[in-house]
Amino acid sequence: MMAWYFWMALAALLVCALQFIVKLIRLVKRGAPKDLSTPKGKVSAGVLYSATVAMMPQNKESAYLHLPTYVAGILYHIGTFLSLLLFVWIFVAFAIGIYTPNDTIAIYPEYLRIGHIVAACILFVAAGSGISVLIKRLINKELRFFSSFDDYFSNFITTAMQLATAIFLLYPQTIIWYCVVMTLAFLWMPVGKTKHALYFFAARYHLGFFYGRRGVWPPAKIH
Amino acid sequence: MEKLSKEKKSCGLSVLQTTSDSKLETHLNSCVKCGLCSSSCMFYMTFKEKKYIPGYKVAVVRSIYQRYNTFLGKHLPKISGARDLDEKQCEEMIDLFFGSCTMCGRCVKHCSIGVDIPFIVRKGREMLAEMDMIPKTLQSTVDAALTTGNNMGIPTEEFVDTIEWMEEELQDEMGDPNAGIFLDKENKDVFYTLNPREPKFFPLSISAMAKIFYAANESWTISSTRYDITNYGFFNGKNSEAATIARNLYNEVLRLNGKRLVLGECGHGSRATRWEGPNLIKQTYKVDTITVVELIAEYIRNGKIKLDKTKNNVPVTIHDPCNLVRNGGLLGEIRFVVKNAVSELIEMNPCGNENFCCGGGGGMLAMSEYNDRRLKIGEIKANQIKASGAKIVITPCHNCVDQLMQLNHQYKLNVSIKTIAEIVADALVFEPKNEKKSDE
Repeated sequence: MMAWYFWMALAALLVCALQFIVKLIRLVKRGAPKDLSTPKGKVSAGVLYSATVAMMPQNKESAYLHLPTYVAGILYHIGTFLSLLLFVWIFVAFAIGIYTPNDTIAIYPEYLRIGHIVAACILFVAAGSGISVLIKRLINKELRFFSSFDDYFSNFITTAMQLATAIFLLYPQTIIWYCVVMTLAFLWMPVGKTKHALYFFAARYHLGFFYGRRGVWPPAKIH
Repeated sequence: MEKLSKEKKSCGLSVLQTTSDSKLETHLNSCVKCGLCSSSCMFYMTFKEKKYIPGYKVAVVRSIYQRYNTFLGKHLPKISGARDLDEKQCEEMIDLFFGSCTMCGRCVKHCSIGVDIPFIVRKGREMLAEMDMIPKTLQSTVDAALTTGNNMGIPTEEFVDTIEWMEEELQDEMGDPNAGIFLDKENKDVFYTLNPREPKFFPLSISAMAKIFYAANESWTISSTRYDITNYGFFNGKNSEAATIARNLYNEVLRLNGKRLVLGECGHGSRATRWEGPNLIKQTYKVDTITVVELIAEYIRNGKIKLDKTKNNVPVTIHDPCNLVRNGGLLGEIRFVVKNAVSELIEMNPCGNENFCCGGGGGMLAMSEYNDRRLKIGEIKANQIKASGAKIVITPCHNCVDQLMQLNHQYKLNVSIKTIAEIVADALVFEPKNEKKSDE
């Protein structure tokens, strides 16, 4: 029997997933632009390029001109995906009895300890990157100029999610805090700018559609 | 600024509520405000002002969208940064969307997410257009196109005179009384279009293209009334006006039963006609529509024209018009044509899809109130040209030609600016039959 805090986090995950599903259905229903012009290139090739080569750091000034921020961003996102995967794993592990909730202390087998330590280390690095991104937003007057509460809170809650996961992996007695943070993160994710988790993919698709159709992507070789 | 009436406000907001696909929703919700796009934008690079960060322009449209369309924006605007659409906001929008963005799209390619920033900027322009807040200078260009058939308001008689004069020059140069610039002929293979700057200021670029057509033995015509390829309706944000201009040109092609619509050397005009035109008039074009660059490339590939590179033996560089290259896929074709026409090509750095706008795009050339800003941002292009060491800058866009000429003067570049037709015409080798004709 799982404790209340776990049900709470699961319910939040469900709400989050449902909201993303609704957004996804709306995006799919609205679909790609109904373009009546005669194509010059292939949409499929453009979308593939958009999702792969165009994303490479050597092809983006936002990456190669800002390497520290780019690396921090990549690590941060690795941490986010790892946190989400670990939440699913932790839930499954509890459900099938690998982890045993004992009042407020989660008990897990010794053989998982090394895995927990490795994952926690990755998450600490990721959270450190998240904190650096947050500090940059706080001290850079240009970023502050067009940032709202959402920008700070989205950064904060995502970093908190990674930290809470890392701490839980090392100190299972923090499970209640872990579930509370995950609950907040799940509730915020589809509301705040964290929803780019979905729209990012749609944006890459639209770029691939636009540039692919016009024969811009994949680019012709000029040298 | 006048008080913003409820009706106008709702007209402006309607732009964000009427969407037929997922593009607007996607790009309004994708930006993470990392601000890294700033280093890809000419305005920010030049002025280092935070309002010029491309992501800020997206944030402005998104904040208005949120204020009137989302739960958080309606009830807790501070949390999401939602803003009211009021007079002050409109003033900022005019400066941001009309005066601080050439819609070149360089930021899109380098955006960490892939937000289509010029698409959002254009939505901002559409909102302003719906609220009758288009800069008067830009609107007068559109009005001229709507009322006279061309954006410079050139009377038909004046245009016909210019064409007849160029035709005589062509006949003299070719030594062939049959060489011609054919006006209003039906059933021709090519229906050719011009940027009105050509008859007004650069008639030699018309004769250069006429020479190429002559060398290729092409069957072609120009309309005496609907020759204008430009469509500033694409820039003023008024879709109904952009559609009227596009439809006028398309109907003229149909009236003269042209087999192929060939778009003259104008970046935005080519884009507005080829890519946006069918969507504006809501029908697929029944005629093949290509740019003149592609047509010349076709002539070279098919051996319809012969070029001698040594006739152009000074170093040249290419300025890639944003609407033709980054937004039009002509990267390879432009280089294919130029490499066949010149001895030495030096690329600018960066170039191609990475190029910097000349600074005159997005309707900037038509808005004199932003002249100082336009010339200042053009310094980036001027420095690129200087660094290339080229003596001739080639660009297949008369809008870019105009801006580059001003940069040439302002930054003392000492280069010549030429169109593709001009550089190709200079390299033309006429077949013996033509020489024979002239002997006769």
